[in-house]
Amino acid sequence: MNMIDVSHLGFSYSEGDVLRDLSFQVERGSFLTIAGPNGAGKSTLLNLLSGRLKAGSGSVKIDAADVQSYPAAALARKVAVVRQEFVPMFGFSVLETVLMARVPCYGPLGFESKRDREIAGGALEATDTAKFARRQLGQISGGERQRVFIARALAQDTPVLLLDEPTSFLDLRHQVRIYDLLKKMQIEQGKTIVAVTHDINLAAQYCDDVLLIGTQGHYYKGPGRDVFSPEKIEKVFGVTGFAGRIGSEKFFLPLGKYARDRHGNVP
Amino acid sequence: MSTNELLTGKRLIGRVAFSVMLLAAVMFVCSLTGAESVSLKKAFGSVSTTGAINPDYEIFMQVRVPRIVLAAIVGAALACSGVVFQGLLRNPLADPYILGISSGAGLGAVIAVISGFNWMLWGRSPIAVFAFLGALGTVWLVWLIGRLAGRSNVTSLLLAGVVVNAFFSAIIMFLTSIARSDQIFSTIFWLMGNITEEEWFILWLSGGCVITGVIALFYISPQLNVISFGQDDARSMGINTPAVQTIAFAVAAAITAVAVSLSGLIGFVGLIVPHGVRLVFGPDHRQLLPVSAIVGAIFLVACDTAARIVVAPAQLPVGVVTAIVGGPFFLVLLIRHTRKVGWLAK
Repeated sequence: MNMIDVSHLGFSYSEGDVLRDLSFQVERGSFLTIAGPNGAGKSTLLNLLSGRLKAGSGSVKIDAADVQSYPAAALARKVAVVRQEFVPMFGFSVLETVLMARVPCYGPLGFESKRDREIAGGALEATDTAKFARRQLGQISGGERQRVFIARALAQDTPVLLLDEPTSFLDLRHQVRIYDLLKKMQIEQGKTIVAVTHDINLAAQYCDDVLLIGTQGHYYKGPGRDVFSPEKIEKVFGVTGFAGRIGSEKFFLPLGKYARDRHGNVP
Repeated sequence: MSTNELLTGKRLIGRVAFSVMLLAAVMFVCSLTGAESVSLKKAFGSVSTTGAINPDYEIFMQVRVPRIVLAAIVGAALACSGVVFQGLLRNPLADPYILGISSGAGLGAVIAVISGFNWMLWGRSPIAVFAFLGALGTVWLVWLIGRLAGRSNVTSLLLAGVVVNAFFSAIIMFLTSIARSDQIFSTIFWLMGNITEEEWFILWLSGGCVITGVIALFYISPQLNVISFGQDDARSMGINTPAVQTIAFAVAAAITAVAVSLSGLIGFVGLIVPHGVRLVFGPDHRQLLPVSAIVGAIFLVACDTAARIVVAPAQLPVGVVTAIVGGPFFLVLLIRHTRKVGWLAK
């Protein structure tokens, strides 16, 4: 059973087409990574999946119903979205932020129930953020803040988790921790995870499938390990480089014009 | 630190009750302060059996108390609306006038003065009526322009507010430059912001409006918390963002228009009170809204008392007092915030 069903999706801004006739499915409980060059429409696709943008043509179905047919509150019980971390304007604490995911469930007096607190507490534990629950978002590091936003999404208690470049701006250790966390959520809670990323090497270690989106309408979807053919990468990203394997992990290393190992360069 | 505790219903009720008592105490003290000394004993001690006029009672009930109640109503309305605009626009430097309410009300008032209208509507002068209509009309116009420019995009709303403000200010200047000098005087007096004695009927009416508005805003305050993280976040967390934004804007604009039509343009209350309360109690709107309303009332009652007594027997416009107190405070905020975060960047 597919959790997300995208068929013949097209979208254009006034400047021109971004996505054309894109179809793919995401199986319930699987982990999909979306990668591609800047401007290819990755974030647009994520906004279409989250219902923020309306499809120009074709359709996006979440759990067998069109994403636009859900009222906001109902959609928020199906899909949680993690955008790139930022420091919010006002000094809410980590715990207050995570509890906000429960606001649609609040009672008439505007306060959380005991169950809301338990769910928020669980999300803090799962993301390893409980120890700074009382600190303000502006007082913790970017990696910690990203985990808080993931905790907030978990507190929404949805089957689907969408993430927009969850590891950009993070150091290596925090990148790995974020992916570990996402994988754990997939395995332990059976979540369907879709993440946009630039880091295909790290993503491929964790995801089940990769969707490559090129600018010329080149789409490729398949298992993560099959992404690393130099032809595919060159077609989609327009770069050449080393595709290799260490142990059972494949990787791709782009080579620039002045790289020492670039064909034709003097060593 | 108090900001790090989670807000509970009990804590909220306790804090609101405490600030209400503080407000009552301040109003009581201020009602006894003034150019004329009034004795409560004389005013209420001897229930008049002779039918003679009791001057202490008259001063107290017809001059002092109505004025203090009015200051409290206006202060509460402005502070509350400041909270809402800061939250919705995600801009700590926003105030109730940021979307052009001030210039719209000012334009209405100037038109009323210049046309020389001389009628009363429910005991209100044409200035008040025109200011009220001008305020609401302008907010509606700005909201409309913001909508047309981009789907209720915060930046386009702010820019629309700035443009409308500038345009209406230009018209105000044009009108004052062709007006007679006595008309100019009453215009400027109004623009400075003034608390005067009002009839009890007006106080009940406007007080009722403002309290209803504050309660309505409190009702959507958890949603306002979420919206302060941005529309997209709020939407994906299941908040009906357009509805909440529209209600919040409409209510905040309405209570601001009520305040402006009662007292002219009193500045800084709607800016510094929400800030002060946020610094002490944290950003949670469930608490920020009611506490700011009460603190705003306290602040304006105190400022108006100062305006009454500093140059007694003459009086200062209260807008001058709030500006003198609020100006330096605003400057400090401006420097601190623009240094720390690019607030339009996200």
